[in-house]
Amino acid sequence: MVGRFTERFSTPGARRAGTALALALALAFPPLTAALVPDNRYYLELGFHFWQYAILGLSLNVILGGAGLYNLGHAAFYAVGAYTTGILNTKLGIPTLWLLPVAALTAALFAAVISRPILHLRGDYLLIVTVGFAEIVRIALRNNVFGLTGGPNGILGIDRPELFGMRFNTPLHFYYLSLFFVVLTVFIAVRLERSRVGRAWNFIREDELAAESMGIDTTRYKFLAFVTGAALAGMAGNVYAGKMTVIAPESFSFWESVVIFAIVILGGTGSIPGIFLGTFGMVVLPQLPFLRGLQDARMLVFGAAMVLMMIFRPQGLWPSRRWSLAVGRGLEEGGPAEGGPAQGGPAAPTRAAAGGGGQ
Amino acid sequence: MGFVGMTEMSLRSHTRRFRRMGGLALVLAAALLLLAACGGGGGGQTGGSGGSDGGQTGGGAGTSGDEIVIGVIGPLTGDYAAEGQGFKKAIDLLVEELNAQGGVLGRQVRVEYADTGSKPDQATLAAQELVSKGVVAVVGAYASSETEPAMEIFHEEGILQISPASTATHLTEKGYENFFRVAFLDSAQGMFAARMLVQNLGAQRVAIIHDNSTYAYGLAEWTRQFVEQEGGEVVFFDALNPQETDYTALLTAMQQANPDALYFTGYFSQAGLLIRQARDLGIDIPITGGNATNNDEVINTAGEHAEGFITTTEPLPPDLPYDKARDFVARYREKYNEDPVSIWTAMAGDAFDVIIEAIRQTGSTDSADLIAYLRDELEGYPGITGPITFDNKGDREGTIYAAYRIENGEFVLYIEPQF
Amino acid sequence: MDIFQQVVNGLTVGSIYALVALGYTMVYGVLKMINFAHGDLFALGAYLALTLFGVTTAASSGSGWLALLVVALAVALAVGAAGLAAERIAYRPLRHAGRLPPLVSALGVSVFLQNGIMLVWGARPRAFQHNLSLEAGLTLFGVRISAMQIIILVFALLLMVALYLFVQRTKVGAAMRAIAVDHETARLMGIDVTRIIQLVFFIGPALGGLAGMMVGLYYHQLNFTIGWSYGLKAFTAAILGGIGNIPGAMVGGLVLGLAEALAAGVSGQWKDAIAFVVLILILVVRPTGLLGERVAEKI
Repeated sequence: MVGRFTERFSTPGARRAGTALALALALAFPPLTAALVPDNRYYLELGFHFWQYAILGLSLNVILGGAGLYNLGHAAFYAVGAYTTGILNTKLGIPTLWLLPVAALTAALFAAVISRPILHLRGDYLLIVTVGFAEIVRIALRNNVFGLTGGPNGILGIDRPELFGMRFNTPLHFYYLSLFFVVLTVFIAVRLERSRVGRAWNFIREDELAAESMGIDTTRYKFLAFVTGAALAGMAGNVYAGKMTVIAPESFSFWESVVIFAIVILGGTGSIPGIFLGTFGMVVLPQLPFLRGLQDARMLVFGAAMVLMMIFRPQGLWPSRRWSLAVGRGLEEGGPAEGGPAQGGPAAPTRAAAGGGGQ
Repeated sequence: MGFVGMTEMSLRSHTRRFRRMGGLALVLAAALLLLAACGGGGGGQTGGSGGSDGGQTGGGAGTSGDEIVIGVIGPLTGDYAAEGQGFKKAIDLLVEELNAQGGVLGRQVRVEYADTGSKPDQATLAAQELVSKGVVAVVGAYASSETEPAMEIFHEEGILQISPASTATHLTEKGYENFFRVAFLDSAQGMFAARMLVQNLGAQRVAIIHDNSTYAYGLAEWTRQFVEQEGGEVVFFDALNPQETDYTALLTAMQQANPDALYFTGYFSQAGLLIRQARDLGIDIPITGGNATNNDEVINTAGEHAEGFITTTEPLPPDLPYDKARDFVARYREKYNEDPVSIWTAMAGDAFDVIIEAIRQTGSTDSADLIAYLRDELEGYPGITGPITFDNKGDREGTIYAAYRIENGEFVLYIEPQF
Repeated sequence: MDIFQQVVNGLTVGSIYALVALGYTMVYGVLKMINFAHGDLFALGAYLALTLFGVTTAASSGSGWLALLVVALAVALAVGAAGLAAERIAYRPLRHAGRLPPLVSALGVSVFLQNGIMLVWGARPRAFQHNLSLEAGLTLFGVRISAMQIIILVFALLLMVALYLFVQRTKVGAAMRAIAVDHETARLMGIDVTRIIQLVFFIGPALGGLAGMMVGLYYHQLNFTIGWSYGLKAFTAAILGGIGNIPGAMVGGLVLGLAEALAAGVSGQWKDAIAFVVLILILVVRPTGLLGERVAEKI
């Protein structure tokens, strides 16, 4: 059912309308909630978190969904962006928002340095190496590396962002600020997806060997995926630092990477609308009052929900057609599946046929 | 997403799809409404008291009907869950008793708990949640790194916040009127520990191990400073990873530095392991620890190896001249069949009591009145952890430390409380 | 002497990593899937042992060793059963869903188990009390070796050798190896693939549970997050050795334990970072781990 539902978005017109509607709803969310509850600040704060993780999910999607590189250490890039902002703002007094491109660049540079030697690693080996890098970053931050990161205390007293003399300091301000960056990120992600680079990533993800033999410089494109994803995460780190005014190593733990990773897969790897659904499931759902009401058992239920969501929607909540192709082929390889492909499976080949002409 | 051919985008299908979009819009809007409605009911739901609709909780000046709402923010899940649960247990105990005695100002008190998940970013969410629920004042948070982001939100709202456990010095240097803490600063304990190590134990070469938490690292740094001031030498300064259970490698390295005594500033759970493993390695120097090691778990874990272990701490309740402290521990044991988790559990109780005292004395539930009272008038309030007075920065004045030594499986007073 | 002491320290921790790593590597071998919940199954074993020791010590003041045997058997069976349940509920429906969905499902199981443990046994660290006398030790040339260290080393090695022989020499073991190469062909050869996968999901967690029990016995203390930290290390060890390879898990575990101990000799704060640096360096040079085969990955 959901498959048919998502299929409705398959034409550019419908997609555009859907996007416009989603954006309108996002813009209207603060006044809507303000009209409905006496104090909507909790929901605005939650909204900020939602956008923030959506950016992180989108940025990982470039690496994981785009080029198919298993990166379970995405929090490292987020941390580099946040700490770059924190250090330069507190030591040199450069305004937080000015540091946004610097944070993105530093994260990209960091990704460039670490990804070079590890790009030839495959699948799960790459996975653990990215975990390793993220842990090294967190430990370095905690140990006050170069006397800059403030050790376990982290960095305090970061300035709130300012634009044309206006200071961002209420949940409402940050809601719209982060929404702006979400729109920007989606724009970049869509552009990339439809570009030559995006098509090369798809090719590499689907069949690296074939891509290479077709003359695609796979190492270069994988490298590019890492750098782009890292830059976007670094940008998110800048916004985070400005919002929190304090950053500490615990904010960038292994668990953060796990959450971002799960957002991408839960939503439907490679799919932009899916990222938002995945973010809703991983970030917003556990914070909603009915789950918060469970108190200590909250995370227990959350864990069970993760399993259930995967069992009932293994292809994700809103799978991208390209990715479902890959999953479909996996099904054929794996032999007759036991009820797995019932939902999305049968539709895949026809869509693939339609897609062939479109490209 | 370029799979679909451009030709398919005929105008007709376009409009048809647009109509379908309308349906989708309705669905989404309905979902949004539901979400918002959920939020309205949230206050009542989690509070779980009475049939009063939570919708009005956000309204008035920090009150919900007749109840006074007090917030507690802390790590109920995640790495520091034990400490957050300690906050909850202590305050549940106190509020139950308070309400049984008729509450304060003739009104019942309700406590709202918000979970930080031991993560700084969730701390702002938790803080905002409490603000939306219209709390009068807040107890929390635990680690300094989660207290700080929450502080920003409570400061903007002008809500009284008292942290029971965040000891980082800089927190009170921001000049936030609404922020107080009942935890003592690390520096005083560091000085006490340094004197004990150098003078009482005669250690010239001191090893210090922390666990890289804000608190333990701070205490370790202060102790290092004061040991050097006392004429001793810190020959080993390193951290263990509290997530792990094997510290033999670190201890072997420490042994190389040939110290006369070890001071561990981390928590009791690691202290027990550390002592046992040190003795197993044949390390026989005196081992001492900070106030987070003052817990029977050390004896449970280290067994007979725990003999001779010394902890520097606020005096244990029985050694304090206050019935309240002894009483608190007795009632806590009775209710939960276990000892308070750590000194922070008692501190959380104190933070709560101080808020209630301020409400009682001022007859007001307005944060500004409470803040003014705590800053200017409260003096020597008899808390569970000793007399409480706040200085003009919001720090707690007057620190009392004592040292205890484990003898025959019990903590025995080793250095008298120094007032 | 310092360095020899560190070697002993490292081998002890390393053999625990190796035992836990076996669980990761076996599952990976047959399913090409990382069972992220394995660390928490290990923790479950540790906590079950804590409770069982509490019961048995209360019941019999006599032979602690008999109690140990009974507890070990019970823990292995119970954690093995939990592993089977996880496979049935969370992984089997996803067997043909590609590589990423099972990963997230496993993370879900991990979160569920960890918080379940917290709810049942509490968030506070628990002292693990038992009446086995394992305090004896000997000093050889200034190097302290405790009885428990020897027991852990020997026990871990025995289990690993037994498992290796089982996989290499028995018919069932051959079936496991066949499945590791190709599910479909194995099925055509008359192998009951599901049954073998179940067996793997019993043996791996059972060994992990036993490792958990030994951690409790050795360190006398448990914490509900213990599964995450040991799980991550053991998984690292499995990859280091070459995942899917049983001797690789042994080698990886011991190498990681040694690297950590030697790193801690330099700096405790940087210990974990240094361990990961070693991992990355080894993988950069040998992309499929120390004992991994150099084969292109089949997607």
